[in-house]
Amino acid sequence: MAAAPRSTVVIVLIGALVATACGFGASGSPTPGSPSVTPQGSPPSGSPSAAPATLLVWDQEVRNAITPVLDQLNDEFEAAHPGVTIERQSKSFEDLKATVKLALQDANGPDVTQINQGRPDMGAAVQAGSLLALDDYAARYGWDKRWGPAVNARNSFSDDGKQFGTGSLYGASLTGEIVGLFYNKEKLTALGLQPPATFAEFEQQLAMIKGKGEVPIAFGNTGGDAIQIYGSILETLVDRAWLDDFIFGRGGRSFDTPETRLAAEKLLEFSEKGYFTRGYEGISYDDAWKLFAGGKGVYFWTGSWIGGDLVQTAGEKFGFLRTPPQQAGGSVLTIGGVGLPFAIRKTSTKADLAAEYIDWVTGDRAMELLAKAGVLPSHGAPGAEGTGALQNEMAAAFAEANSKDEVGHYIDWAGPTLYDAITAGLAKVLAKRQTSGDFVKAIDADYQAFLKTLE
Amino acid sequence: MRRPGERRWWPWAFLAPGLLVYGAFVFLPILDTLRYSFFRWDGLTPPVPVGLDNYLRALGDPIFLKSAANNLLLTFWFSLLPIALGLLVTSLIARSGLPGTRIFRSAVYLPQVLSLVVVAVVWRWLYSPAFGPLNQLLEGLGLGQLARPWLGDFELALPAVGVIGTWYEFGFVTVLMLAGIQKIDESLYEAARLDGASAWQQFRHVTLPGLRNEITVALVFTLIAAFRVFDLIFVLTRGGPGEQTSVLSYLIYRSAFQRNEVGYAAAMAVLLTLIVLAISALIVRRREAAAEAAA
Repeated sequence: MAAAPRSTVVIVLIGALVATACGFGASGSPTPGSPSVTPQGSPPSGSPSAAPATLLVWDQEVRNAITPVLDQLNDEFEAAHPGVTIERQSKSFEDLKATVKLALQDANGPDVTQINQGRPDMGAAVQAGSLLALDDYAARYGWDKRWGPAVNARNSFSDDGKQFGTGSLYGASLTGEIVGLFYNKEKLTALGLQPPATFAEFEQQLAMIKGKGEVPIAFGNTGGDAIQIYGSILETLVDRAWLDDFIFGRGGRSFDTPETRLAAEKLLEFSEKGYFTRGYEGISYDDAWKLFAGGKGVYFWTGSWIGGDLVQTAGEKFGFLRTPPQQAGGSVLTIGGVGLPFAIRKTSTKADLAAEYIDWVTGDRAMELLAKAGVLPSHGAPGAEGTGALQNEMAAAFAEANSKDEVGHYIDWAGPTLYDAITAGLAKVLAKRQTSGDFVKAIDADYQAFLKTLE
Repeated sequence: MRRPGERRWWPWAFLAPGLLVYGAFVFLPILDTLRYSFFRWDGLTPPVPVGLDNYLRALGDPIFLKSAANNLLLTFWFSLLPIALGLLVTSLIARSGLPGTRIFRSAVYLPQVLSLVVVAVVWRWLYSPAFGPLNQLLEGLGLGQLARPWLGDFELALPAVGVIGTWYEFGFVTVLMLAGIQKIDESLYEAARLDGASAWQQFRHVTLPGLRNEITVALVFTLIAAFRVFDLIFVLTRGGPGEQTSVLSYLIYRSAFQRNEVGYAAAMAVLLTLIVLAISALIVRRREAAAEAAA
C-alpha cells in the first residue's frame, strides 16, 4: 500500500493550501485596542525632511502608456530629494484590491498606496483606522483647489468610515476617468454619420450600422463588463439626487425603480438586435478592445483608461464622446471621476514625506507627463494639453462633465457585494434567465441588506 | 527497535526544522482559518463571534451550493473521463510494441508542465467567438450554426472549462498508467490468451487489477484537482456567465478578498477542506479494504 501514505500527505497538504487561502495575514489578527502610532503629533511644518528614507509605494498603473510616467516621476522626486528612495511596487488592479487592506495594517506595509474608491476598499480601510486623514495636507498643498468638491467627495469618508462622500479627505488621484463611447472615425464617416446628439439618435445609428453589416458596438462580457454599459445607460435616465443618495447610502433609496428596469431592458434590446459583437458572451474585455482597435466595431463603450493605449497603438483613428443625453442639449450624468487615489498608511512614520510625494505625483508636472503619454489627467495644468485629437476629446468630455457637475458614479461603489451581484445578474438578464424586474429586485435586496449593516 | 541507551528525542531533533516550517506555514494557518470561521469578520475591524452562523449561511446560500455542485460536475471532466481515456489508450498502445510510444508519452504529458494560467489564456483564444479556431473550423465545415460563445453560454461554459481539465489531466493519468502496466507480468497475459480470454477479458481481469494502485493515485490527485480548480475559472470566466462556472475556491477568494467577508470565506474553506478530505479518505479506504480482501 505505497499509495496510501503518500496520498494522505498530499491530501493534507492540499487541504492546507485550500485552508490557508483564507488565512493570509493570520499573524496580524485584529488588535482593536492596540495604540495607533500617531506620526502627526503636530500639523505639517512646511519643511520637507531631507534625511535618508525609503518610501514604499504601491500602485496599479501597469498599463503600457502610464507605467513609464510613474517611473519618471519617481526618478525626478528622488533627484530632488537626495537620500530619498522610492520603492515602487506595481500590482494589477485585482491584486491590489485583494492585498492592500491587510497590507495597510502591517507596520511594514506601503507608506503610500493607491486604493480603490468606494465602500469596499477605501471605506473599509478608513473603518479599520488604517488610513491617514489628509485634510491638513490638503490645506497645505491646495488640494481643495486642485480638484472640485465633487471629486474630493469621492475620496472622503467620515472618521468611522460609515458616511461616504463627506468628512475627511483620504486620497488624491493621478488620472481622470470618464466612461463613454469611443468611436472609429473612418467607419462613422464612411457611413455618413456624425457623433450622435441624443440617445435616440444613437439608437438609430446602431440600427443603421447593423443594417450595413458592421458591428455597431464592440463588446466582450466574460469579465462582467456589461456593468459599464448598464451603468452608462442608467445614468442617462436618473437625476443627480437619486444617484448621489444611492451611492452614498443616504435617504433610504431603492434600486427597484422604473429607470433601473428600463436600463436593463435597453441592454437586452441592444443584445437581441445584434448591436454587440457576435458571441460577446464568450469574449473577454481585453480581446474586445483589441478587436475594436483592429477595426472591428464602430463604437466601444468603456472608460478613458483604455485611451492611453489606444492613443499609442492607433491614436488618430478614434474619437470619444459622452454617452448622449435623452433630450438634445439636456443634462446627462456620465460615469467617471478620478482614478484610484493615492493614500497614506496611518502608521507610516514618514507621513510628511509621503504627503509631499502624493503632492508631486498628482501635481502639474505629473499632469504634463500624463498628457504627453496620452492618458487623461485628473486636473488641468499648464502644459497638460493633449497631444492628439482623441486625447483632446477625452479631456474636453471630462472637463465638460466636471464643469457642469455631471460626473456620475460607478454603481457598484454603493456596497461591497454589488459588483458581483450586478455582473452576474446582467449576464442572466442578457441570457433571458432573469427578467429586468427580478434583476433590480435582487440588487435592491443586496443593497438594503448592506444599508442595514451601517446602522 | 530502540537499543538501550539510545535517546528517544533524538529523531525529533532531526525532524524539528521541517516540523517548525510545516507548523508555522501550514498547521497554524489551518487552525487560524478554523477560528475565523466562527466569526463575522471583514478582515480589518474587530471580529464578532457568531457561532455556527457562517456554516449555516453557506448551507443555505444558493451560490455556495451551486459552486459545490459545479465542482462535483467537474470531477467528471477532471477525473473520471481522463482516467477512462487513460486506461483505453494505455491498453491500446502499451503492449502493441508500436514505434513512437515514447514520443506519444512525452506529448500527452506536456500540458502538465505548463502553468494553468498559460493553458487558460491559450484556450481562451481557441474558444474565442471572434477569432477562435474552433468556431472558424465549424464555420469552415458548414456547421456555423453549431458555433457558440463557448465560455459565455449558460449551458456550455462549464463543459468548456471541463474539456480543458480533461486535456490537462489526461497526460498525467496516461503516463501513470503506462508506467504501471509495465510492471504487469507478461506471462499473465500469455496464460489468459491460452485460456481463450478475449481482449476485453484480458483488460478486465489482468490489466485492471494490475493497475489498481495507479488508478487510486490518479483518482485522488485528479479529484483534488477538480475541487481546487481556481486558475482556469479566474482567467476564463470569473465564475460567469451568472454563476454557471462558479467553483468553491473562486467563491472563497471573492468573498475573502473582494467582498470583505473573511469569516464566511473561512467557513466555506473549511467545508471545502472537509469535502476533499472525505472523498480522498473514502477512496483510500476502499482501496485498502480491497487490498486486504485480495490478500
